[in-house]
Amino acid sequence: MTGLNKWDMIRPGWEQDAEPLLAAGGHDPVLGKEAAWDALRLVRGEISEEEFYQKHHQAYLNEFGADMRPAVSVGDAAAPLDEPNYLSGMSRRAALKLLGAGVAGLFFTSWWARQTFGASPEEKPPAGPLPVQMGMVVDLENCDGCLVCMAACRGHNGTPAWTHWMYVIAFEDENGRVNTLPRTCQHCSNAPCVKVCPVGARFKRKKDGLVLSNFDICIGCRYCQVSCPYGVNYFQWAEPETQVHIESRDYRGRWVAGRPPKGVMGKCTFCPERQDEEETKGTAVCALSCPHNALHFGDMNDPNSSPRRYLEQKKQEKGYISTFRLLEEYGTRPNVLFIGQRPSPRARPVEGPVPIKNMGFMESGRAVIKGEHPWFLSAFGGQ
Amino acid sequence: MDEQTRTRHILKTLGRPTPKYFIFLLLGGAGLLWFLYAWSYQLQYGMAVTGLGDWGAGGGVPWGIYIGSFIWWVGIAHGGIIISASVRLFKLEAFKPVARMAELLTIAALSVAGLYIILHVGRPDRIVTSIIPAFPWRIHFSPLVWDVTVITLYFVMTGTYLLLTVRRDIHFLQKKLPAVFAPLYRLLLMGYHPSEDKKVERMVWWLALGIILMAPLLLHGGVIPWLFALLPSMPGWYGAIQGPQFLSIALTSALGAVLLIAYIFRRAYGWKDVLPDSAFRSLGSALALFALFFLWLQLQQIITGVFAPPLGVEESTAAKLHQPLYWAAIIPVGLVLLYLGAQWAIRSIFSITRTVVAGVVAVLAVFLEKVLFVVEGLMEPGFKLYQGVPGSYWPSWVELSSVVGAFSFVLVFFLVVAKVMPIVEVVEEEAGASDGHREMAELRLRTTPLGLRRAEK
Ligand code: SF4
Ligand code: SF4
Repeated sequence: MTGLNKWDMIRPGWEQDAEPLLAAGGHDPVLGKEAAWDALRLVRGEISEEEFYQKHHQAYLNEFGADMRPAVSVGDAAAPLDEPNYLSGMSRRAALKLLGAGVAGLFFTSWWARQTFGASPEEKPPAGPLPVQMGMVVDLENCDGCLVCMAACRGHNGTPAWTHWMYVIAFEDENGRVNTLPRTCQHCSNAPCVKVCPVGARFKRKKDGLVLSNFDICIGCRYCQVSCPYGVNYFQWAEPETQVHIESRDYRGRWVAGRPPKGVMGKCTFCPERQDEEETKGTAVCALSCPHNALHFGDMNDPNSSPRRYLEQKKQEKGYISTFRLLEEYGTRPNVLFIGQRPSPRARPVEGPVPIKNMGFMESGRAVIKGEHPWFLSAFGGQ
Repeated sequence: MDEQTRTRHILKTLGRPTPKYFIFLLLGGAGLLWFLYAWSYQLQYGMAVTGLGDWGAGGGVPWGIYIGSFIWWVGIAHGGIIISASVRLFKLEAFKPVARMAELLTIAALSVAGLYIILHVGRPDRIVTSIIPAFPWRIHFSPLVWDVTVITLYFVMTGTYLLLTVRRDIHFLQKKLPAVFAPLYRLLLMGYHPSEDKKVERMVWWLALGIILMAPLLLHGGVIPWLFALLPSMPGWYGAIQGPQFLSIALTSALGAVLLIAYIFRRAYGWKDVLPDSAFRSLGSALALFALFFLWLQLQQIITGVFAPPLGVEESTAAKLHQPLYWAAIIPVGLVLLYLGAQWAIRSIFSITRTVVAGVVAVLAVFLEKVLFVVEGLMEPGFKLYQGVPGSYWPSWVELSSVVGAFSFVLVFFLVVAKVMPIVEVVEEEAGASDGHREMAELRLRTTPLGLRRAEK
């Protein structure tokens, strides 16, 4: 067979064609050729499958660091599978490569997730005019703790007795100064409640920056409630006593306004049903109800909005005013601005001018459970 | 003891049930029924039937014993599978007799944990319809979704792991197994061929590796504590220590639970040979180690919480230290550590009963600590203007019934499984391995991370 080698038995000239291809792969071309040759013999039935897999097993291991061909199941005692430590069947290089690929994959997905979902406005300053962000300027110097706003909110939204979407906190600091602070949801720009919600029921509305709950999909896990630093969330612990009496869906048809159904989380909404109507846009029921001009609701990014004008006017009248936002140190970027003294870290709640109990508000959802007590509790005089 | 006697002893569980067996089954069944009644009550009247409430102006806590139990059961599950995986990976021979019990415990405990999530949420009817469509984007943010994901993954991994190892046993024992369950065995053995054992062994090894890597880094040292540790709103929760702290609790409670289960089986079937003293001794020593970790990490938190802490941490630490129930959790763990430590040093005072009692005390103590952790964290929020709003939390009868239900479920689970499959692995993993492999295995034994002694031959 002069001039002919065994490669030519595959196809004359095969070696010349195959070699550059095999070399380009970066692996041993001789092994490649031998394996190809044996594959041919296997097809012709000259060697058994078992022999075929065994023949180059060691060479495969040396070259690729692993041999994933079915060889290993053919039951040879020396095959690497029998070794108790299977890592040894894989070269360190291959294992490291695998690990490297895994780590790179992790980095890539996290980078991608950040690009796609995570960029906060600090990193990407919005181009053009500032987005609409509804918020409030609360003048603590005007508030006298009459609780009219609380009653108005409850009346409007039909929330149950134990909830205080608007809650006027009366507190005393270490110098004995008593003050009242109306607390709504802060409709944070970096809201932890939105971040933690497992189903995306809690969301920030692009249109006007309201933080809302989609009552149709909330599963009632109460994670938003524990993650919010302000304690503004109120769960619907039992079947609500009141029926929905306002148009509760927003402009996109999402059920976000009014009191939530049983087993779902609610909180101060900044009246989305009003923001969606031309005539009532830019007003909130609590702010309208306040007899002392303490609550000013509107777009915090618009210098002509009612809260911004009020702020400007007060600054001009007094020459200097002190303002603060609540718990800014948590990085939530709240959108309610208070005029007055920041409560000191050691300030503690006291009974206000109008005690909240007098309003017929109850302390906890437990108090309003409806339905029969189970027989064994009634037998012992109830819960 | 030769293989055959051992196998015969192991198969005792599969025999005809005794009257005592039925009594336990009835008890478990009654507990489950009671729980179902309580649950239906909750479904009918809403979460108001729990002792939970809104924090802040409501003065209550929105997360209570349901979430506390959830973490605890997940901890047992994770600890259990770590025990079992370490047998395969590090050839911890001393734990080998309890490996399958630990796997079964993992399955049971994970089921209970999943049930607690369903119990906890206000709208269980929406779990599937809400979570699945939102999953692809919420997975990037919500620690709760991380939890659900990893627990599901874990359930699949543990199930596969158990199934793979059980098939070999069932095939090996075929004729000796109760004929009534033949269809089940046929199902489990679908496509089985003895030649797969080698490959299966390899798969199980990789699964064990995955479990050992994932459990501490991702699970009980990861997503479960992150549920709390990532929230600055509650100073009692926030911070990097919760990862190791949770892991120490997981392992403590899993070791305690396995001790108890092994003890019950040993008593019931006279398994002095199948579950030798050495297994209990090793479990006890490991328990002491993790109890020590637990206490050490508690100490870290107390010291940083009282020396020069920021206000929120100061108040939450003070509240914790003034809570008698906190000490009712910490002191018993300390005593358990003292006793097990002494037993480890002075071998002659070893007693199985005392070891098991110590284990049970430790498990209950960390349960109390975990529930307190959840509740106290919420009672002491960073926002101090609510402090002093009247309110308290005590689990209602519905919530307490869930605890009864959970234990009953695990009891019934073990009663049923014990009649269906061998509760201890029959086919020795190394059977048929060459001498060289045995040497390898022994070499690795001497270098096990826990330094546990190999069971006497
Ligand atoms: S105040 Fe609380 S509920 Fe409102 S947006 Fe901020 S974090 Fe969310
Ligand atoms: S309670 Fe509802 S809105 Fe809040 S985090 Fe859970 S699913 Fe989201």
